[in-house]
Amino acid sequence: MGYIKKIWSARFFWRHLVSSDLRSKWRRSALGVLWGVIQPLGLTLLIAFVFGRVFGADIRTYAPYILSGIIVWEFITASISAGSMAFIQADQYIKQCNHPLAIYSLRTVLLNSYVMIVASMSLFLWIVIEFPQNFGLTWLSLLVVPIIYLVMLWPMATILAYAGTRFRDLQHVLGIVLQAIWFMSPVYLEERLFRSANLAPLLDHNPIYHMLELVRAPLLRGSFPTLTNYAYCLGFFIVALLLSILIGRRVERKIIFYL
Amino acid sequence: MSISLISLENVNLDYLRKPSRPAASKSIWSFSSFFAKRNVSRLSKNRALNNVSFDVSEGERIGLLGHNGAGKTTLLKAMADLYPIAEGKLSVNGVVRSLFDLSLGFEPDATGRENIMYRGLLLGQTPAQMMALEKEIVDFADLGDFIDYPINTYSAGMQVRLAFAVSTSISGDILLLDEVVGVGDAAFIDRAVSRIKSLIDSAKVVFLASHDLLTIRSVCNRVIVLDKGVVIYDGDVEDGIVCYLKSQGLASE
Repeated sequence: MGYIKKIWSARFFWRHLVSSDLRSKWRRSALGVLWGVIQPLGLTLLIAFVFGRVFGADIRTYAPYILSGIIVWEFITASISAGSMAFIQADQYIKQCNHPLAIYSLRTVLLNSYVMIVASMSLFLWIVIEFPQNFGLTWLSLLVVPIIYLVMLWPMATILAYAGTRFRDLQHVLGIVLQAIWFMSPVYLEERLFRSANLAPLLDHNPIYHMLELVRAPLLRGSFPTLTNYAYCLGFFIVALLLSILIGRRVERKIIFYL
Repeated sequence: MSISLISLENVNLDYLRKPSRPAASKSIWSFSSFFAKRNVSRLSKNRALNNVSFDVSEGERIGLLGHNGAGKTTLLKAMADLYPIAEGKLSVNGVVRSLFDLSLGFEPDATGRENIMYRGLLLGQTPAQMMALEKEIVDFADLGDFIDYPINTYSAGMQVRLAFAVSTSISGDILLLDEVVGVGDAAFIDRAVSRIKSLIDSAKVVFLASHDLLTIRSVCNRVIVLDKGVVIYDGDVEDGIVCYLKSQGLASE
Protein backbone atom coordinates (compact mmCIF):
# COMPACT_ATOMS: atom_id res chain seq x y z
CA MET A 1 0.00 0.00 0.00
CA GLY A 2 3.04 2.18 0.28
CA TYR A 3 3.03 1.95 -3.49
CA ILE A 4 -0.40 3.58 -3.78
CA LYS A 5 0.81 6.32 -1.47
CA LYS A 6 3.78 7.01 -3.73
CA ILE A 7 1.49 7.20 -6.76
CA TRP A 8 -0.66 9.69 -4.90
CA SER A 9 2.26 11.86 -3.86
CA ALA A 10 3.43 11.99 -7.49
CA ARG A 11 -0.05 13.09 -8.60
CA PHE A 12 0.98 16.56 -9.71
CA PHE A 13 3.60 15.08 -11.97
CA TRP A 14 1.42 12.51 -13.75
CA ARG A 15 -1.45 14.96 -14.05
CA HIS A 16 0.96 17.28 -15.76
CA LEU A 17 2.12 14.48 -18.10
CA VAL A 18 -1.47 13.73 -19.14
CA SER A 19 -2.33 17.36 -19.79
CA SER A 20 0.88 17.81 -21.71
CA ASP A 21 0.06 14.73 -23.83
CA LEU A 22 -3.41 16.10 -24.48
CA ARG A 23 -2.02 19.47 -25.51
CA SER A 24 0.51 17.96 -27.89
CA LYS A 25 -2.03 15.58 -29.42
CA TRP A 26 -3.97 18.29 -31.18
CA ARG A 27 -1.39 21.08 -31.20
CA ARG A 28 -1.11 23.21 -34.30
CA SER A 29 -4.01 21.55 -36.09
CA ALA A 30 -6.72 23.91 -37.27
CA LEU A 31 -9.64 21.83 -35.96
CA GLY A 32 -7.75 20.67 -32.88
CA VAL A 33 -9.83 18.66 -30.47
CA LEU A 34 -12.66 18.47 -33.02
CA TRP A 35 -10.69 15.77 -34.80
CA GLY A 36 -11.37 13.54 -31.84
CA VAL A 37 -15.06 13.80 -32.68
CA ILE A 38 -14.85 13.81 -36.48
CA GLN A 39 -12.63 10.78 -36.88
CA PRO A 40 -14.84 8.11 -35.27
CA LEU A 41 -17.91 9.71 -36.85
CA GLY A 42 -16.47 9.51 -40.35
CA LEU A 43 -15.39 5.92 -39.87
CA THR A 44 -18.84 5.06 -38.57
CA LEU A 45 -20.61 6.44 -41.61
CA LEU A 46 -18.34 4.45 -43.89
CA ILE A 47 -18.70 1.17 -42.02
CA ALA A 48 -22.42 1.61 -41.47
CA PHE A 49 -22.93 2.12 -45.18
CA VAL A 50 -20.97 -0.98 -46.21
CA PHE A 51 -21.91 -3.36 -43.38
CA GLY A 52 -25.49 -2.13 -43.39
CA ARG A 53 -25.75 -3.26 -47.01
CA VAL A 54 -23.88 -6.51 -46.47
CA PHE A 55 -25.82 -7.65 -43.41
CA GLY A 56 -29.07 -5.96 -44.28
CA ALA A 57 -29.15 -4.00 -41.04
CA ASP A 58 -31.19 -0.86 -40.50
CA ILE A 59 -28.61 1.89 -40.85
CA ARG A 60 -30.42 4.21 -38.46
CA THR A 61 -29.98 1.86 -35.51
CA TYR A 62 -26.83 0.16 -36.77
CA ALA A 63 -24.74 3.34 -37.06
CA PRO A 64 -24.88 4.27 -33.33
CA TYR A 65 -24.05 0.65 -32.54
CA ILE A 66 -20.91 0.90 -34.66
CA LEU A 67 -20.00 4.30 -33.26
CA SER A 68 -20.18 3.02 -29.68
CA GLY A 69 -18.07 0.05 -30.75
CA ILE A 70 -15.43 2.23 -32.38
CA ILE A 71 -15.15 4.59 -29.43
CA VAL A 72 -14.75 1.86 -26.82
CA TRP A 73 -12.55 -0.35 -29.00
CA GLU A 74 -10.26 2.61 -29.75
CA PHE A 75 -9.89 3.17 -26.02
CA ILE A 76 -9.03 -0.48 -25.39
CA THR A 77 -6.51 -0.87 -28.21
CA ALA A 78 -4.86 2.47 -27.56
CA SER A 79 -4.53 1.70 -23.85
CA ILE A 80 -3.12 -1.74 -24.55
CA SER A 81 -0.72 -0.97 -27.37
CA ALA A 82 0.44 2.37 -26.01
CA GLY A 83 0.42 0.83 -22.54
CA SER A 84 2.98 -1.76 -23.59
CA MET A 85 5.24 1.13 -24.61
CA ALA A 86 4.56 3.26 -21.54
CA PHE A 87 7.88 2.64 -19.77
CA ILE A 88 9.93 2.74 -22.95
CA GLN A 89 8.40 6.10 -23.80
CA ALA A 90 9.14 7.43 -20.31
CA ASP A 91 12.67 6.01 -20.15
CA GLN A 92 14.33 9.37 -19.47
CA TYR A 93 12.07 10.00 -16.48
CA ILE A 94 12.51 6.47 -15.17
CA LYS A 95 16.28 6.67 -15.41
CA GLN A 96 16.47 9.82 -13.35
CA CYS A 97 13.47 10.04 -11.08
CA ASN A 98 12.34 7.61 -8.51
CA HIS A 99 8.59 7.66 -9.19
CA PRO A 100 6.53 4.44 -9.07
CA LEU A 101 6.36 3.00 -12.58
CA ALA A 102 2.58 2.55 -12.56
CA ILE A 103 2.18 6.31 -13.01
CA TYR A 104 3.44 5.96 -16.57
CA SER A 105 0.84 3.33 -17.50
CA LEU A 106 -1.76 5.42 -15.67
CA ARG A 107 -0.75 8.34 -17.85
CA THR A 108 -1.43 6.32 -21.01
CA VAL A 109 -4.81 5.03 -19.84
CA LEU A 110 -5.89 8.44 -18.52
CA LEU A 111 -5.00 10.11 -21.80
CA ASN A 112 -7.06 7.58 -23.72
CA SER A 113 -9.96 8.00 -21.30
CA TYR A 114 -10.08 11.69 -22.09
CA VAL A 115 -9.90 10.97 -25.81
CA MET A 116 -12.78 8.51 -25.39
CA ILE A 117 -14.90 11.04 -23.51
CA VAL A 118 -14.34 13.63 -26.23
CA ALA A 119 -15.21 11.11 -28.94
CA SER A 120 -18.39 10.03 -27.16
CA MET A 121 -19.86 13.53 -27.45
CA SER A 122 -20.92 12.73 -31.01
CA LEU A 123 -22.59 9.53 -29.83
CA PHE A 124 -24.55 11.38 -27.14
CA LEU A 125 -25.66 14.01 -29.60
CA TRP A 126 -26.73 11.38 -32.10
CA ILE A 127 -28.80 9.45 -29.57
CA VAL A 128 -30.42 12.53 -28.08
CA ILE A 129 -31.55 13.67 -31.52
CA GLU A 130 -32.44 10.36 -33.09
CA PHE A 131 -33.56 8.26 -30.11
CA PRO A 132 -34.72 10.69 -27.42
CA GLN A 133 -36.85 7.90 -25.91
CA ASN A 134 -33.64 6.20 -24.69
CA PHE A 135 -32.83 9.13 -22.43
CA GLY A 136 -33.63 8.51 -18.80
CA LEU A 137 -32.42 7.47 -15.40
CA THR A 138 -30.40 4.63 -16.90
CA TRP A 139 -27.96 7.21 -18.24
CA LEU A 140 -26.79 7.83 -14.69
CA SER A 141 -24.94 4.51 -14.97
CA LEU A 142 -22.84 6.10 -17.74
CA LEU A 143 -21.22 8.43 -15.21
CA VAL A 144 -19.12 5.64 -13.72
CA VAL A 145 -18.24 4.01 -17.04
CA PRO A 146 -15.01 6.00 -17.63
CA ILE A 147 -13.91 5.14 -14.10
CA ILE A 148 -14.69 1.45 -14.58
CA TYR A 149 -12.81 1.40 -17.88
CA LEU A 150 -9.86 3.24 -16.38
CA VAL A 151 -9.65 0.91 -13.41
CA MET A 152 -9.92 -2.15 -15.68
CA LEU A 153 -7.27 -1.11 -18.16
CA TRP A 154 -4.71 0.43 -15.79
CA PRO A 155 -3.47 -2.86 -14.24
CA MET A 156 -3.60 -4.49 -17.67
CA ALA A 157 -1.55 -1.70 -19.24
CA THR A 158 0.91 -1.92 -16.36
CA ILE A 159 1.44 -5.66 -16.88
CA LEU A 160 1.99 -5.09 -20.59
CA ALA A 161 4.35 -2.20 -19.89
CA TYR A 162 6.50 -4.43 -17.67
CA ALA A 163 6.48 -7.15 -20.30
CA GLY A 164 6.91 -4.79 -23.24
CA THR A 165 10.04 -3.27 -21.75
CA ARG A 166 11.66 -6.64 -21.21
CA PHE A 167 10.44 -8.26 -24.46
CA ARG A 168 10.51 -5.73 -27.24
CA ASP A 169 8.72 -8.08 -29.63
CA LEU A 170 5.58 -7.77 -27.56
CA GLN A 171 4.24 -4.69 -29.33
CA HIS A 172 4.27 -6.55 -32.64
CA VAL A 173 2.61 -9.60 -31.11
CA LEU A 174 -0.04 -7.36 -29.55
CA GLY A 175 -0.96 -6.02 -32.97
CA ILE A 176 -1.90 -9.53 -34.07
CA VAL A 177 -3.57 -10.46 -30.79
CA LEU A 178 -5.73 -7.34 -30.82
CA GLN A 179 -6.78 -8.09 -34.37
CA ALA A 180 -7.80 -11.59 -33.27
CA ILE A 181 -9.75 -10.27 -30.29
CA TRP A 182 -11.47 -7.78 -32.55
CA PHE A 183 -12.78 -10.61 -34.73
CA MET A 184 -14.13 -12.41 -31.68
CA SER A 185 -15.87 -9.38 -30.19
CA PRO A 186 -19.07 -7.61 -31.17
CA VAL A 187 -17.28 -4.34 -31.92
CA TYR A 188 -18.85 -3.67 -35.33
CA LEU A 189 -20.71 -6.92 -35.88
CA GLU A 190 -24.12 -7.17 -34.34
CA GLU A 191 -24.80 -9.37 -31.37
CA ARG A 192 -27.47 -11.34 -33.24
CA LEU A 193 -24.95 -12.45 -35.86
CA PHE A 194 -22.84 -14.11 -33.16
CA ARG A 195 -25.85 -15.73 -31.51
CA SER A 196 -27.37 -17.02 -34.73
CA ALA A 197 -24.01 -18.58 -35.65
CA ASN A 198 -23.92 -20.45 -32.34
CA LEU A 199 -21.04 -18.30 -31.14
CA ALA A 200 -22.79 -17.09 -28.00
CA PRO A 201 -19.90 -18.16 -25.68
CA LEU A 202 -17.70 -15.66 -27.53
CA LEU A 203 -19.97 -12.96 -26.19
CA ASP A 204 -20.95 -14.28 -22.80
CA HIS A 205 -17.41 -14.92 -21.58
CA ASN A 206 -15.79 -11.99 -23.35
CA PRO A 207 -14.94 -9.04 -21.07
CA ILE A 208 -15.00 -6.74 -24.06
CA TYR A 209 -18.62 -7.63 -24.78
CA HIS A 210 -19.50 -6.78 -21.19
CA MET A 211 -17.53 -3.54 -21.34
CA LEU A 212 -19.43 -2.56 -24.46
CA GLU A 213 -22.74 -3.42 -22.80
CA LEU A 214 -22.05 -0.88 -20.06
CA VAL A 215 -22.36 1.78 -22.76
CA ARG A 216 -24.78 0.15 -25.17
CA ALA A 217 -27.50 -0.88 -22.74
CA PRO A 218 -28.32 2.65 -21.55
CA LEU A 219 -27.56 4.51 -24.77
CA LEU A 220 -28.95 2.21 -27.42
CA ARG A 221 -31.71 0.47 -25.50
CA GLY A 222 -32.48 2.76 -22.58
CA SER A 223 -31.91 -0.01 -20.03
CA PHE A 224 -29.48 -0.60 -17.19
CA PRO A 225 -26.50 -2.90 -17.77
CA THR A 226 -27.01 -6.31 -16.13
CA LEU A 227 -25.27 -7.43 -12.98
CA THR A 228 -23.45 -10.02 -15.08
CA ASN A 229 -21.92 -7.20 -17.12
CA TYR A 230 -20.58 -5.57 -13.98
CA ALA A 231 -19.43 -8.89 -12.55
CA TYR A 232 -17.33 -9.68 -15.61
CA CYS A 233 -15.73 -6.23 -15.52
CA LEU A 234 -14.99 -6.64 -11.82
CA GLY A 235 -13.56 -10.11 -12.42
CA PHE A 236 -11.30 -8.82 -15.18
CA PHE A 237 -10.11 -6.02 -12.91
CA ILE A 238 -9.33 -8.34 -9.99
CA VAL A 239 -7.40 -10.83 -12.11
CA ALA A 240 -5.41 -8.07 -13.81
CA LEU A 241 -4.75 -6.32 -10.51
CA LEU A 242 -3.46 -9.46 -8.80
CA LEU A 243 -1.28 -10.29 -11.79
CA SER A 244 0.14 -6.77 -11.94
CA ILE A 245 0.98 -6.85 -8.22
CA LEU A 246 2.56 -10.28 -8.57
CA ILE A 247 4.64 -9.25 -11.58
CA GLY A 248 5.38 -5.77 -10.27
CA ARG A 249 6.84 -7.16 -7.03
CA ARG A 250 9.36 -9.14 -9.01
CA VAL A 251 10.31 -6.77 -11.79
CA GLU A 252 9.48 -3.16 -10.84
CA ARG A 253 13.01 -2.37 -9.68
CA LYS A 254 14.71 -4.22 -12.52
CA ILE A 255 12.91 -2.41 -15.34
CA ILE A 256 15.53 0.34 -15.34
CA PHE A 257 18.12 -2.15 -16.61
CA TYR A 258 16.10 -2.87 -19.73
CA LEU A 259 15.57 0.71 -20.84
CA MET B 1 29.74 11.47 17.08
CA SER B 2 27.19 12.24 14.44
CA ILE B 3 24.97 9.48 13.12
CA SER B 4 25.64 8.25 9.60
CA LEU B 5 23.24 9.47 6.95
CA ILE B 6 24.36 7.00 4.33
CA SER B 7 25.70 3.57 4.98
CA LEU B 8 26.72 0.86 2.54
CA GLU B 9 27.70 -2.62 3.66
CA ASN B 10 29.23 -5.02 1.13
CA VAL B 11 27.03 -3.69 -1.65
CA ASN B 12 27.06 -5.55 -4.96
CA LEU B 13 25.17 -4.24 -7.94
CA ASP B 14 24.68 -6.14 -11.18
CA TYR B 15 23.55 -4.82 -14.50
CA LEU B 16 21.30 -7.21 -16.34
CA ARG B 17 22.01 -6.96 -20.02
CA LYS B 18 21.39 -9.13 -22.98
CA PRO B 19 24.59 -9.50 -24.93
CA SER B 20 23.94 -7.51 -28.04
CA ARG B 21 23.42 -9.55 -31.14
CA PRO B 22 22.77 -8.42 -34.66
CA ALA B 23 19.20 -7.45 -35.39
CA ALA B 24 17.13 -10.28 -36.84
CA SER B 25 16.81 -8.45 -40.15
CA LYS B 26 20.56 -8.63 -40.67
CA SER B 27 20.86 -12.34 -40.15
CA ILE B 28 17.54 -13.49 -41.45
CA TRP B 29 18.98 -14.34 -44.87
CA SER B 30 21.49 -16.77 -43.47
CA PHE B 31 19.59 -19.28 -41.43
CA SER B 32 22.63 -20.86 -39.83
CA SER B 33 23.71 -17.60 -38.21
CA PHE B 34 20.13 -16.76 -37.27
CA PHE B 35 19.86 -19.92 -35.21
CA ALA B 36 23.45 -19.93 -34.01
CA LYS B 37 22.84 -16.66 -32.15
CA ARG B 38 20.05 -18.15 -30.07
CA ASN B 39 22.26 -19.81 -27.49
CA VAL B 40 23.95 -16.56 -26.45
CA SER B 41 20.72 -14.64 -25.95
CA ARG B 42 20.77 -15.61 -22.27
CA LEU B 43 21.04 -12.80 -19.76
CA SER B 44 24.47 -11.97 -18.54
CA LYS B 45 25.31 -10.08 -15.39
CA ASN B 46 27.79 -7.26 -15.28
CA ARG B 47 29.00 -6.46 -11.83
CA ALA B 48 29.02 -2.67 -11.66
CA LEU B 49 29.65 -2.30 -7.93
CA ASN B 50 31.66 -4.91 -6.12
CA ASN B 51 31.64 -5.23 -2.35
CA VAL B 52 31.35 -1.51 -1.69
CA SER B 53 31.22 -0.40 1.96
CA PHE B 54 31.39 3.02 3.55
CA ASP B 55 29.60 5.30 5.99
CA VAL B 56 28.90 8.96 5.51
CA SER B 57 27.96 11.34 8.27
CA GLU B 58 26.72 14.91 8.30
CA GLY B 59 29.07 17.55 6.97
CA GLU B 60 31.01 15.31 4.64
CA ARG B 61 31.60 16.44 1.06
CA ILE B 62 32.75 13.46 -0.89
CA GLY B 63 34.53 13.54 -4.21
CA LEU B 64 34.03 10.45 -6.38
CA LEU B 65 36.97 9.76 -8.65
CA GLY B 66 37.54 7.03 -11.19
CA HIS B 67 37.94 6.67 -14.91
CA ASN B 68 34.95 6.34 -17.24
CA GLY B 69 32.93 3.25 -16.43
CA ALA B 70 34.44 2.79 -12.99
CA GLY B 71 30.99 2.95 -11.38
CA LYS B 72 30.69 6.56 -10.21
CA THR B 73 27.30 7.21 -11.74
CA THR B 74 26.10 3.74 -10.82
CA LEU B 75 26.98 4.43 -7.20
CA LEU B 76 25.13 7.77 -7.27
CA LYS B 77 22.09 6.15 -8.87
CA ALA B 78 22.10 3.34 -6.32
CA MET B 79 22.08 5.91 -3.51
CA ALA B 80 19.29 7.82 -5.30
CA ASP B 81 17.30 4.55 -5.11
CA LEU B 82 17.13 4.22 -8.88
CA TYR B 83 19.15 1.02 -9.23
CA PRO B 84 18.34 -1.99 -7.06
CA ILE B 85 21.33 -3.59 -5.38
CA ALA B 86 21.94 -7.32 -5.75
CA GLU B 87 23.47 -8.02 -2.36
CA GLY B 88 24.49 -6.16 0.76
CA LYS B 89 22.86 -3.37 2.72
CA LEU B 90 22.30 0.19 1.66
CA SER B 91 20.54 2.72 3.82
CA VAL B 92 19.99 6.38 3.10
CA ASN B 93 18.38 8.68 5.65
CA GLY B 94 17.25 12.00 4.29
CA VAL B 95 15.82 13.70 1.24
CA VAL B 96 18.01 12.91 -1.76
CA ARG B 97 18.39 15.53 -4.47
CA SER B 98 20.28 14.55 -7.58
CA LEU B 99 21.43 16.69 -10.47
CA PHE B 100 21.89 14.40 -13.46
CA ASP B 101 20.17 15.78 -16.55
CA LEU B 102 19.17 19.34 -15.74
CA SER B 103 16.74 19.96 -18.58
CA LEU B 104 14.76 16.72 -18.30
CA GLY B 105 11.05 17.45 -18.15
CA PHE B 106 11.17 20.58 -20.30
CA GLU B 107 8.57 20.90 -23.00
CA PRO B 108 9.83 22.73 -26.09
CA ASP B 109 6.49 24.32 -26.95
CA ALA B 110 5.84 25.69 -23.48
CA THR B 111 7.13 29.01 -22.17
CA GLY B 112 10.05 29.31 -19.82
CA ARG B 113 7.71 30.15 -16.96
CA GLU B 114 5.57 27.07 -17.63
CA ASN B 115 8.64 24.89 -17.82
CA ILE B 116 9.76 26.04 -14.39
CA MET B 117 6.53 24.52 -13.12
CA TYR B 118 6.88 21.33 -15.20
CA ARG B 119 10.40 20.60 -14.11
CA GLY B 120 9.47 21.32 -10.51
CA LEU B 121 6.59 18.83 -10.66
CA LEU B 122 8.94 16.22 -12.09
CA LEU B 123 11.22 16.77 -9.11
CA GLY B 124 8.30 16.05 -6.80
CA GLN B 125 7.32 19.59 -5.82
CA THR B 126 3.72 20.73 -5.52
CA PRO B 127 2.37 23.54 -7.73
CA ALA B 128 2.13 25.82 -4.68
CA GLN B 129 5.77 25.23 -3.77
CA MET B 130 6.84 26.00 -7.32
CA MET B 131 4.78 29.21 -7.44
CA ALA B 132 6.63 30.36 -4.36
CA LEU B 133 10.00 29.63 -5.96
CA GLU B 134 9.14 31.02 -9.38
CA LYS B 135 10.20 34.63 -8.88
CA GLU B 136 13.57 33.70 -7.47
CA ILE B 137 14.21 31.26 -10.36
CA VAL B 138 13.19 33.83 -12.97
CA ASP B 139 15.50 36.41 -11.41
CA PHE B 140 18.41 34.02 -11.31
CA ALA B 141 17.99 32.73 -14.87
CA ASP B 142 17.88 36.40 -15.92
CA LEU B 143 16.33 35.80 -19.34
CA GLY B 144 14.40 39.08 -19.52
CA ASP B 145 11.24 38.93 -21.63
CA PHE B 146 12.23 35.53 -22.98
CA ILE B 147 10.87 33.90 -19.83
CA ASP B 148 7.38 34.20 -21.38
CA TYR B 149 8.44 32.82 -24.78
CA PRO B 150 8.37 29.14 -25.72
CA ILE B 151 11.73 27.61 -24.94
CA ASN B 152 12.19 26.34 -28.48
CA THR B 153 13.00 29.99 -29.28
CA TYR B 154 15.86 29.91 -26.75
CA SER B 155 19.51 29.49 -27.58
CA ALA B 156 21.22 26.43 -26.12
CA GLY B 157 22.89 28.59 -23.48
CA MET B 158 19.60 30.16 -22.39
CA GLN B 159 18.01 26.74 -21.97
CA VAL B 160 20.90 25.61 -19.84
CA ARG B 161 20.57 28.71 -17.66
CA LEU B 162 16.89 28.10 -17.08
CA ALA B 163 17.46 24.39 -16.39
CA PHE B 164 20.24 25.19 -13.98
CA ALA B 165 18.19 27.84 -12.20
CA VAL B 166 15.26 25.48 -11.64
CA SER B 167 17.29 22.44 -10.70
CA THR B 168 19.39 24.29 -8.15
CA SER B 169 16.44 26.05 -6.52
CA ILE B 170 15.35 22.96 -4.61
CA SER B 171 17.66 21.74 -1.91
CA GLY B 172 17.85 18.45 -0.08
CA ASP B 173 19.69 16.73 2.76
CA ILE B 174 21.79 14.65 0.43
CA LEU B 175 23.02 16.19 -2.77
CA LEU B 176 24.29 13.99 -5.62
CA LEU B 177 26.14 15.86 -8.36
CA ASP B 178 27.33 14.16 -11.52
CA GLU B 179 29.75 16.12 -13.67
CA VAL B 180 28.05 19.47 -13.29
CA VAL B 181 30.02 21.37 -15.86
CA GLY B 182 30.30 25.00 -16.92
CA VAL B 183 27.00 26.59 -17.81
CA GLY B 184 26.33 29.65 -19.93
CA ASP B 185 28.59 32.62 -20.51
CA ALA B 186 31.37 33.85 -18.26
CA ALA B 187 29.19 36.17 -16.17
CA PHE B 188 26.70 33.41 -15.59
CA ILE B 189 29.35 30.85 -14.63
CA ASP B 190 30.42 33.05 -11.73
CA ARG B 191 26.90 33.24 -10.40
CA ALA B 192 26.35 29.54 -11.09
CA VAL B 193 29.41 28.56 -9.09
CA SER B 194 28.33 30.65 -6.12
CA ARG B 195 24.84 29.17 -6.36
CA ILE B 196 26.17 25.60 -6.44
CA LYS B 197 28.37 26.48 -3.47
CA SER B 198 25.41 27.72 -1.45
CA LEU B 199 23.44 24.62 -2.45
CA ILE B 200 26.34 22.49 -1.27
CA ASP B 201 26.57 24.47 1.96
CA SER B 202 22.90 23.93 2.74
CA ALA B 203 23.08 20.17 2.17
CA LYS B 204 24.10 17.79 4.93
CA VAL B 205 25.97 15.44 2.63
CA VAL B 206 27.33 16.04 -0.86
CA PHE B 207 28.60 13.55 -3.41
CA LEU B 208 30.41 15.04 -6.35
CA ALA B 209 31.47 12.82 -9.24
CA SER B 210 33.89 14.70 -11.41
CA HIS B 211 37.14 14.53 -13.32
CA ASP B 212 37.90 18.11 -12.45
CA LEU B 213 40.49 17.86 -9.67
CA LEU B 214 40.35 21.61 -8.96
CA THR B 215 36.66 21.43 -8.12
CA ILE B 216 37.21 18.31 -6.02
CA ARG B 217 39.98 20.08 -4.08
CA SER B 218 37.93 23.20 -3.45
CA VAL B 219 34.69 21.48 -2.48
CA CYS B 220 35.45 18.10 -0.94
CA ASN B 221 36.82 16.96 2.40
CA ARG B 222 36.91 13.25 1.54
CA VAL B 223 37.62 11.28 -1.63
CA ILE B 224 36.51 7.84 -2.73
CA VAL B 225 38.27 6.33 -5.73
CA LEU B 226 36.51 3.63 -7.71
CA ASP B 227 38.05 1.22 -10.14
CA LYS B 228 35.97 -1.41 -11.95
CA GLY B 229 33.29 -1.13 -9.29
CA VAL B 230 35.70 -1.61 -6.37
CA VAL B 231 36.57 1.08 -3.84
CA ILE B 232 40.37 1.31 -4.11
CA TYR B 233 40.75 4.36 -1.90
CA ASP B 234 38.64 6.08 0.74
CA GLY B 235 40.00 8.96 2.80
CA ASP B 236 41.88 12.22 2.64
CA VAL B 237 41.51 14.38 -0.49
CA GLU B 238 45.17 14.85 -1.51
CA ASP B 239 46.11 11.19 -1.08
CA GLY B 240 42.96 10.22 -2.95
CA ILE B 241 43.91 12.37 -5.90
CA VAL B 242 47.38 10.79 -5.94
CA CYS B 243 45.81 7.33 -5.87
CA TYR B 244 43.45 8.27 -8.70
CA LEU B 245 46.25 9.62 -10.87
CA LYS B 246 48.32 6.50 -10.25
CA SER B 247 45.43 4.28 -11.24
CA GLN B 248 45.19 6.31 -14.41
CA GLY B 249 48.85 5.63 -15.09
CA LEU B 250 49.71 9.29 -14.55
CA ALA B 251 52.33 10.44 -12.11
CA SER B 252 51.15 13.06 -9.65
CA GLU B 253 52.53 16.51 -10.23
